[in-house]
Amino acid sequence: MDDDTSSYLRRRRFLATGAAAVSGALAGCNGLPGGSGGGGSGETGAVTLSSFRGSGPLVESRSSVSGTRIADLPDLSGSLTVYLGGGEGGLYRELLTLFSQIYPDFTVRPREGGTAQLANTIIEEGENSPADVFWAVDAGSLGAVAEADMAATLSSSVVESVPQEFHPTDQWIGTAGRARSVPYNTDEFDADDIPETVMDFPGTAALDGVMGWAPTYGALQAFVTAMRLIEGEAATREWLQAMLDAGVTEYPDEFLVSNAVADGEVGAGFANHYYALRVRSARSDAPLDLAFTSGDAGALINVAGAAVIRGTDRQELAENFVHHLLTVEAQEFFATRTFAYPMISGVPPVGGLPSIDELNPPSIDLQELSNVEPTLQLMRDVGVL
Amino acid sequence: MGRDQSGATGVIDGLRERIESTRQYDSHPLVTAAAVLVAVTVISPLLWLGLRAAAVGPTEAVSILTASSTMQVFTNSLALVASVTAVSVVLGVPLAVLTVLTDLPFRRVWTVALALPLVVPSYLGAFAFVSAFGPHGTLAELLSPVGVTIPTIYGFEGATLVLGLFVYPYVFLTTRASLLSFDARQLEAAQTLNHDFRSAFRRIVLPQIAPGVTAGTLLVAFYALSDFGTPAIMHFDTFTRVIYVQYNNFGRGTASLLSIQLLAVTALVLFLESRFGSGADSGDGYGGGVTGADSPITPLGWAKVPALLFCGAVVALTLVVPVAIFGMWLLRSGPGYAAGGFGFEWTFAINSVYIAAIAAAATVLAALPIAYVSARSDSRVGRLLERSTYVGYAVPGIVLALALVFLGANYLPWLYQTLPLLVFAYVVRFLPQAVGATRSSVLQVDSELLGAARTLGETPKGAFRRVTLPLIAPGLVAGAALVFLTTMKELPATLILHPTGFTTLVTYIWRVQEAGYYGRAALPALVLVAVSALSMILLLRQEGDNA
Repeated sequence: MDDDTSSYLRRRRFLATGAAAVSGALAGCNGLPGGSGGGGSGETGAVTLSSFRGSGPLVESRSSVSGTRIADLPDLSGSLTVYLGGGEGGLYRELLTLFSQIYPDFTVRPREGGTAQLANTIIEEGENSPADVFWAVDAGSLGAVAEADMAATLSSSVVESVPQEFHPTDQWIGTAGRARSVPYNTDEFDADDIPETVMDFPGTAALDGVMGWAPTYGALQAFVTAMRLIEGEAATREWLQAMLDAGVTEYPDEFLVSNAVADGEVGAGFANHYYALRVRSARSDAPLDLAFTSGDAGALINVAGAAVIRGTDRQELAENFVHHLLTVEAQEFFATRTFAYPMISGVPPVGGLPSIDELNPPSIDLQELSNVEPTLQLMRDVGVL
Repeated sequence: MGRDQSGATGVIDGLRERIESTRQYDSHPLVTAAAVLVAVTVISPLLWLGLRAAAVGPTEAVSILTASSTMQVFTNSLALVASVTAVSVVLGVPLAVLTVLTDLPFRRVWTVALALPLVVPSYLGAFAFVSAFGPHGTLAELLSPVGVTIPTIYGFEGATLVLGLFVYPYVFLTTRASLLSFDARQLEAAQTLNHDFRSAFRRIVLPQIAPGVTAGTLLVAFYALSDFGTPAIMHFDTFTRVIYVQYNNFGRGTASLLSIQLLAVTALVLFLESRFGSGADSGDGYGGGVTGADSPITPLGWAKVPALLFCGAVVALTLVVPVAIFGMWLLRSGPGYAAGGFGFEWTFAINSVYIAAIAAAATVLAALPIAYVSARSDSRVGRLLERSTYVGYAVPGIVLALALVFLGANYLPWLYQTLPLLVFAYVVRFLPQAVGATRSSVLQVDSELLGAARTLGETPKGAFRRVTLPLIAPGLVAGAALVFLTTMKELPATLILHPTGFTTLVTYIWRVQEAGYYGRAALPALVLVAVSALSMILLLRQEGDNA
C-alpha cells in the first residue's frame, strides 16, 4: 500500500466521522456521565477495542469512536527501546503489553525514570543513545530533547490528527492531555456560578471561603507558572494573596481537593480534570461536576507526548510505534483507563467532558512550564507555601 | 581484677610511648599503587563537570556563583551540615557506647534496631514525617480538636531533625566498630586507677574511638550536603535541591557550576576537619589485639531506665513512625481508577539484595588499599588518597549518574546500562563509608603485633592475613554494612544506570510513588526495612564472631 495515498484516505475518513463524534460529545456535555450509549464497535484483527478500554461506571456508556485504527497501520515488528518518563504508575507499560500481544514479533524494552532525568540522560547520551523513542508525561522534557537536536521530525501522516499546539515543531507529539479544571459541588453551585476567567475567582462573593486547592502539588504549581507567564508576576502575586485572603482551604493533593468538593467540605476547587473523574468512578452518585475557564491559565492543557530519537537505526519502526499511540485503540485506552484527554477528536473524553477542540487553552509554550522555580519563590513570598 | 596498680600504670605508659613512636611497618609500594589507582578511577568521572561547566561563559558563571540566592544556599547548606552532624554525634556516640560497653538489656536487638534508620530512604522517611507531623498530618489532625497546634515541621529545624534521625547510624556504626576493636582491658586498667567511668572514658576510650567517630561524622556531613529528598520535602534550599532544580529546567551548565562549588565546600570541610578536627590521627598505632569477647561490661545501675528510654525514643521516631505511616498507607485503599501495570514481585527484593551485596563487596575491596595506606603511612599522599574518596560521596547522585551516562554511552558502550557500571557508580558514591570504617580499625592494629609476626618469620602478606585482617574485620564488616544499606536505598544512580528490565525495591517504590499510589509503596518499603534488618542481623553476627 502506498503510504501517502492511504494517509490521505485516512484523513478524509477521519474528518467525516470526526464531525459526528464531536456532535455526539457536545450532546453529552451537560452532565458528567454523558454519552449516548452507542457502544464502541471495533474488531481489529486479533484484538478488540474492548481490550484497550477500561471499566467502571464512566466507561459503560461510551459513544462511538473514530479515527485511525491499529489495523490501518503497518504491523509493528522488531524490538524497540522506549524511555518512559513518568508512565502513569505502570499504565503505559500495560499498553505496551497490549501491543506485544497484537504483534508477536514486536518486543519493547521500556526504561523508566523521571521525565526530566530521562531527557537529561538522552541529551548526555547524544548520538549513542540506546533509546529509539522517548515517551514522557511532560511536554517540557520532550521540548528539551527536541531543542538539543535529539528528536527526529515526525512525518505529517503521524501528526495530522492532533491539534497543532500539541506538536509545535513536529519533533514530538502529544499523546494524551490533562486539563486544568474547576471541580464544583452540584448541590451548592450551578455551572453558571463558576466564573469564566480564573482571575475573577477571588472577587466572586459566592466562592469566598469555600474554595480548595493543593499548592504543594506539581500540577497547581504548573498552573501558577502559566499564570505568571500570561498575566505577569505582579498580577499573579495579587491573585495568590487574594486567594489566601478569601480563605482558601489547603489540601495535600488534587485528588483530595476533588474528593473534598464531592463531600461538600468545600464548594469548588482547582484540580486536574481526571481527579474528579476518579472520584466519580468510585462514587457515581457524588454531587460533582467540572467547569472550565477560557483562554487563561485556568484552562491550561498539558500533555504527555512522544518523540523519535534522532540517530536510531529503527526510525521507521519507532515512528510507526508513535503512530500507534495515536490510534483509536490507544486513545481509548488513555481516555478510559487514565481518564486523560484524548488527542484525536474522534475519541471523546469520558464523563461527557467537552472534547479537546472545544476547550480553549491559553496559547503558551508548554516547554516554559518546566521553569517552576520563580513560581515557587513567588508562592513562598506570598506565604502560600 | 588481680592486677596491681603498677601493672596498670605500666600499660598506660606503654600506650603513651607508642603514640609517640613512628610506625615501622609502612605499606608495600604495590598497595600504595593500588590505592592511587582506585582514587584516580573514582574521581575521574567527575571531570565531566568541568566539561559541562565550561559551556557557561565566564561573566555568566561569576554572576551565577555570586548571586545572592547562591550565597543563601551556601550558608543554608553549611548550617544544615553543622546541625545534622551535631545531632548525629549526640545520638550516635552514646548509643554506640551503650550497646558495646554497658549491660544494656537486649543489646543485640537494640544494635540492629538502632542501625536500621539508615536503610529508610530519606524520601520515604521525610515523607512519613510530614504525613505524621505536617500541617495536615495525622498527629496535627488528632491534636487540633483539643486546641494543640504543633510547630511547623518545614524549614531548617525540620530538615535537621529528620536528616539527623535517619543518618546518625553512620556515627553509631563507625563508633561501634572502634569500640569493638578497642582493647577494653585499658578501660579496666584505668578504672583500677580510681578513675570513674566518665573520666576513664574521656582519657582512654575517647582518644581511641576518635578516628571512628570522625569517620562517621564526615559521612554524616557529606550525606547532609548531597541529600536531595529531605531538604526538598522539608522546603529547605540547599545546594543539592538547587542543582536538581537546574537539571529539571535543563540548565546543565548552571547545575555543573553549582556542583563544582559544592565540591569546593566539600574540600573546605575536609580541610577544616584536618586542621581543627578531633585529632583523628592522635590515636594511631596502639591498642588493639584483644577485643570484644572479653570486654568488661560497665553496669548501668540506675541509668538503665533512662538509657532504655533513650534507645526506645530514637527507635520510635526513626522506625515506628515511618513503619506506622507505611502501614496506614497500606490499609487505606487507593483511590480512583484500576491502577495496573505491575504488581509487586519478590524478585525486586532479590535484585536489591543481590546488587547491594555485590556493591558492598566491591566497595570494601576498593577501600582496603586506601584505608591501609592512609592509616599506615604518615605521608600527605596517604591523607590525600583517603580524603579524595569523599568527592564522589559529596556530589548529588544525579550528578555522578549523568557523568557516567556521558562516559558510558559514548566511550564504554559495552558497559553502559549493565550491572558492572551500576556497581561502579555505587563504589564511587559509597567508597568513603568503607574507607572510614576500615581505616579506623587499621589505625588500632598494634604495629608491635605485626612486628612480632614478622619476627616469627611471617611474610608481610602472611602477617597481613594472619594478624591484620582478623583485627580489622570489625571495620570491614561495618564498612560493608554501611555500603550494603545505603545501596539498598540508593535511588538516583540506580534509576538512571540500571540495566533495562532490572527492577529493585527502590525503583519499584519510585514507580508507584511517582504515580501517586503511596499505598502501593508501603509493601516494598516494609520489605526494604525487613530485608535490611535480616541483613543487619547477619552482618552483626559476623561482627561478633570476628571480634
